[in-house]
Amino acid sequence: MIGTLRAILEQSWQQLSATATSYLPPLLAAVVILFVAWLVAVLVRALFLRLATTTWLDRFLAESGLSSIFGTTRPFRTAPVVGAVIYWLILLAGLLMGLNAFNTSITSRMVETIVFLLPKLALASLILLAGVWIGHYLARSALIWAVNENLPYPRRLAAGIRVFVIFAAVVAAADHLNFARTVFVMAFLLVVGGVVLAGGIALGLTLHKTLERRWVEKSQTAPQEERSLWDHL
Amino acid sequence: MLTAEASRAVAELGHVDVVIGIPSFNNARTIGHVVRAAQGGLAKYFPQLRSVIINSDGGSKDGTRDAVLKASIEDPRLLLLNTPLLPVHRISLPYHGIPGKGSAFRMIFAMARQLGAQACAVLDADLRSVTPEWIDLLLRPILYAGYDFVAPYYHRHKYDGTITNHIVYPLTRTLYGLRVRQPIGGEFGVSARLIARYLDRRDWETDVARYGIDIWMTTIAIAEGYRICQSFLGAKLHDPKDPAADLSAMLQQVVGSVFALMEEYEAVWKKVTGSRPVDLFGFRFDVGLDPVPVNAERMRTALITGYRELQEVWALALQRKTLEELARVCQQAEAQPTRWRLEDDLWVRIIFEFACAWHRRRVQRGQLLRSFTPLYLGRVASFVLETEHMLSAEVEERIERLCLVFEQAKPYLVSLWDLAGRTPEPRLEKVSAEVKT
Repeated sequence: MIGTLRAILEQSWQQLSATATSYLPPLLAAVVILFVAWLVAVLVRALFLRLATTTWLDRFLAESGLSSIFGTTRPFRTAPVVGAVIYWLILLAGLLMGLNAFNTSITSRMVETIVFLLPKLALASLILLAGVWIGHYLARSALIWAVNENLPYPRRLAAGIRVFVIFAAVVAAADHLNFARTVFVMAFLLVVGGVVLAGGIALGLTLHKTLERRWVEKSQTAPQEERSLWDHL
Repeated sequence: MLTAEASRAVAELGHVDVVIGIPSFNNARTIGHVVRAAQGGLAKYFPQLRSVIINSDGGSKDGTRDAVLKASIEDPRLLLLNTPLLPVHRISLPYHGIPGKGSAFRMIFAMARQLGAQACAVLDADLRSVTPEWIDLLLRPILYAGYDFVAPYYHRHKYDGTITNHIVYPLTRTLYGLRVRQPIGGEFGVSARLIARYLDRRDWETDVARYGIDIWMTTIAIAEGYRICQSFLGAKLHDPKDPAADLSAMLQQVVGSVFALMEEYEAVWKKVTGSRPVDLFGFRFDVGLDPVPVNAERMRTALITGYRELQEVWALALQRKTLEELARVCQQAEAQPTRWRLEDDLWVRIIFEFACAWHRRRVQRGQLLRSFTPLYLGRVASFVLETEHMLSAEVEERIERLCLVFEQAKPYLVSLWDLAGRTPEPRLEKVSAEVKT
């Protein structure tokens, strides 16, 4: 009995030590790689922020009106944003290298997937960013226009435009990533159809009212003209 | 620069001494009168000079060009002339490029240069009060007194020309130190030297091509040190503005041009302190004026709606203290519809801060200028309430007081402008205190 128990314990200890000896070094290596990557990321970001001369880019963004879309009261600076992107890219590279240290089929597949997905993700992010930019810009333009034209609910109109443009960007990004493509495209078509229908109804009602008013005005002016002929008598 | 048609016309005319330019777009109703007045003026005051009237049309559909070519003085004897007349030529041509008054002027100036004209006068096509004397008053200072630019000076109804009275005149006077009362009047006399300078510039394709042209011409003449005078033309009566015309766009073009020129001539206006009068020709007399209907209530509502909806945009342009004061004004406007006021010092700060926000590009420039419309309407509404029972002379004094507030606050503008791009929140309290002292 005791012998069996000892055998089991020895076996489990051997398994544990085997697992530890096979996984601990890669884990340690991964931690070290990640730490080094973090260190490099911090250093590179600091170096970039110290040396980068992105004033031309700030100026371009300001002059093109792109930076104003963020709506901050402070002038927009590109350097911290680029610095953050560099930081996270280095950290991500460290993470992938750390995962690769395990040298298992699962980690290899994970790394492969991430590496292949990365360019697509970058492009999708750019699409989203552009969508948010354009959405904000158009929304603000619509808000100012609606206020100047004395239209009702200008804020809702602006919000509607912003949501619509950003949603269009989300659809495009999802399509690019091949993620729930049908769902997004269907939703988008439904929204566009709804907008067109609402616009059509609004236009029809406006035309109807205008024609009605014209008709009433016309019918009212005729007798007045006739009456005026006799008024002087 | 000239179209084939225009070049042909220039070749046929050869040389002229004087050009009268009339930009037009659907002005068939009034342009005949303007052409006749110009013809009469040339025949009566400059019979010895070769002259041409050029109508630069923006594609009118109402027979404006025909009206120009048909217009003539029925009986020249009525002008009491005793010298032989040289014929006054008339040309009507369409201009090309961006549709607008500026593009029309560009063609007139280009033709005037090609024709070797010594002087050119431009007149709006919607004028009803123009007389032959206007031609004399706009051209004589250039032809015989060595001036380069003649600005108009007229009596206008107290509610006519509100963009001039509340923004352009006080701001131009404060910036460049010359009291040109009608910097965007629409009628000017220009020398050949100044025409050449205008044509050499490269910013014709901007707002200058549209309503920005008047302030552009005036500012260049002042800032570059050309000899300037004013001529008293009597009353300015013109057709009511096209109701379909977009006030917001017009305001954007005019104010945008003022701000753009502020950037260009920064080195000039920063040195200027105070202001001095400009030579004024012509015999001044009082005239009756057409009443200008205004709807102060609608403008008050526009301000309140603007404050409610556009605060986030204004917050990017205005300082915190200004925004707080504006909030108080809007609350008053809502609570006491007839007793609220948008006072001069607040108005001046709004203008200066918008100019600096434009300079700093804190908001996309077009959006910034369009968001300014409710503030402008609010100021006009407040002014209408304040001057409801005032006579024209009293209103003129009131505008003079506004100009002095502008001039006193100029150090604030300079400091705010200098801070542009360096720190978002200038030390407003300190600057305000300086201004007050």
